[in-house]
Amino acid sequence: MDIPGRRRFNVLSPELTGIMNTRTFLLRSAAVVAALTLAGCDRPEPAITSTPTISPGGADPLTIGVAFETLQTEYWVAGLDAIKASAHRRNVRVLESVADGDANRQLEQVKNFINRRVDGLIIVPKDGKTVIPMIKAANAAQIPVVLYNRPSDPTDAPHTVVAPDNFAITKATVEYLIGEARKTGRKVKALVLLGDLGDVNAMGRRDGFEAAVKEAGDAIEVVARVPTEWKQEKALAGVQSAFQANPDIGLIFTSSDFMFPSIKSVLSSQGKWKKVGEPGHVILGGFDGDATAYQLMKDGYVDATGVQDVFWESDQAVQVIAEVKDGKPAPARIEDKGFVITQANLKELESRMWGAQVANRK
Amino acid sequence: MSSAPSRPAAAAWVTPLRSWAGSDFFVLVLSAVYFLILTPLAPGFASTGNALSLITSLLPLLLLAVGQTWVLVSGGIDLSVTATIALTSVLGGLAVNEVSGWLGSGPFAIPGAILLMLAAGAGVGFLNGLAIARLRMPPFMVTLTSLMFFSGVAVWLTQSQPIGSLPPTFTAFGGRLGWALPVAALLTWVAHLGLSRTVLGRWLYAVGQNARTAEVSGVPVRTVTVCAYVVSGLLAAVASLFLTGQAETASPVLGQRMLLDVIAATVIGGVSLYGGQGRILGVLFGVLFIRLIDNSLNLLGLNFTLILMTKGAVILLAAWLDGWRRQLARMA
Repeated sequence: MDIPGRRRFNVLSPELTGIMNTRTFLLRSAAVVAALTLAGCDRPEPAITSTPTISPGGADPLTIGVAFETLQTEYWVAGLDAIKASAHRRNVRVLESVADGDANRQLEQVKNFINRRVDGLIIVPKDGKTVIPMIKAANAAQIPVVLYNRPSDPTDAPHTVVAPDNFAITKATVEYLIGEARKTGRKVKALVLLGDLGDVNAMGRRDGFEAAVKEAGDAIEVVARVPTEWKQEKALAGVQSAFQANPDIGLIFTSSDFMFPSIKSVLSSQGKWKKVGEPGHVILGGFDGDATAYQLMKDGYVDATGVQDVFWESDQAVQVIAEVKDGKPAPARIEDKGFVITQANLKELESRMWGAQVANRK
Repeated sequence: MSSAPSRPAAAAWVTPLRSWAGSDFFVLVLSAVYFLILTPLAPGFASTGNALSLITSLLPLLLLAVGQTWVLVSGGIDLSVTATIALTSVLGGLAVNEVSGWLGSGPFAIPGAILLMLAAGAGVGFLNGLAIARLRMPPFMVTLTSLMFFSGVAVWLTQSQPIGSLPPTFTAFGGRLGWALPVAALLTWVAHLGLSRTVLGRWLYAVGQNARTAEVSGVPVRTVTVCAYVVSGLLAAVASLFLTGQAETASPVLGQRMLLDVIAATVIGGVSLYGGQGRILGVLFGVLFIRLIDNSLNLLGLNFTLILMTKGAVILLAAWLDGWRRQLARMA
């Protein structure tokens, strides 16, 4: 075939002339694979670059790998900070990784930690299924695994879960909101923002909500259930659509506090962004106890939120690994009972609300 | 003038430098230098376990980059590969899962599921190619739309739920290096042969260089374009098989964040975004370089944001060095 000659063809003329032959290609490719494998011939582990710390007992400090699926929301940032603070108090070194929502990347990161021979792993998985190969890889290397805040699907591979009782905390929060609805003396239309239904936390919260409203048919009618996949834009679009269909919605529960800005945006545009006790107030409740919720509660707009005790959960996660290294058996599950913060008990409980600490640091 | 006598001396070293800079091995040398620098700093970087982990994670990216190379050489771009991964993963999972698989648990379930994945991948590529070649739509728009559409289909098929309970034989394709490596090596080799030793390969370069001239010269431009996208779709389906096997889960968000790595690896590997230029061996080295960066930064235990910034800076530096060496090579 006659190809018009051009400068770049002259430079890379092999493309048009058959280039390297098959044998050369195979040899070169094989050389790459061989180089990688040879490079991997076990060498003495180089010293970790950070300053080594020595535990009070004189033993080598523990090193734990903390693999988060995301740091997309304030909650996960607070969780990571709380784990690092807890580890620091116990003189435990922390290596961190974030998979940016990619389960395969997280698997690789966990394998990296295993290759570094960490003493334990704390994982926030993308979902309950993709974490199972990670648990198995850690089990094979005899490294204890703690799943932080997100449990796995059923598996025989041993591990510990430290997670909130999403169902109970949500149910208690929604029951409080229903109590507020009853005070209006009329049947209130309700909207619920659901999370990613592939996430067991989201499902637990959905079930807690449904259980609470099931017992309150006289006070509540759920007119919209919005699946948000934990995405702010979906929450915004969902609340807008729900208010177009039902302008008289009087109660909103969000499965995570981080979606309050979307709710505020829609309510403000409709002239319904009112404080608790003001005429036209839409009863608002959430889950997490983040800084936004704390500020909105302090300002009087949000009625209640279910709070996960991040500090306690983080401390438990680190403690489990330390205990396993001391030869103690690992529990299968450690449950955070959490608590409900309302306008009535805000001053009393805010010191235990992680969002309050984040907000006060800003 | 004192500069006159030094000219021959300068030419003596400039010529081999130009020759080396223009070769595929530039990126390999860059990777080797990076490896040597990082080995004392990143604990476990030079361990057998890490090498195996690196190769395992490299294979899906390699297949995607090889497919992308075919498309880029033909003068197009395929932004839909991550959606193809998601769609084929979900279809494979729905077909073969042990709880409610469409194909049950018979002996043909796993081959059937793999064939379904490959057909879906080729189908997405075919539709992309057809829209670009027949309707003369811009590749960027067509594949961006495909990305959105097929990602949506994958989420709709699963309602955002990942699919577990996949048979071990099915997940072994990606999960076991002994299976995945030969398959990836074979496909890469075939793709290399296709580009460098066949008429189709020559046509791809010709179309990428100048489609109009190629058409006038008798190259079946439309068929060649469709072929490039079909190959990209097929290889994305195999990459999806690997990723699904590694995660032991089919997911509508599988591989969602890989597109930038795919483009970066191909460009660093010497493939031109303007078409008509690039070789598979260079892409292999580009993929190796990208994976080395990712792997080493994780092992350094750096803060997440610092990792993102460092990775961006290193890729930018590599791209700049690549541009520099091309300039040098052109002067030869």
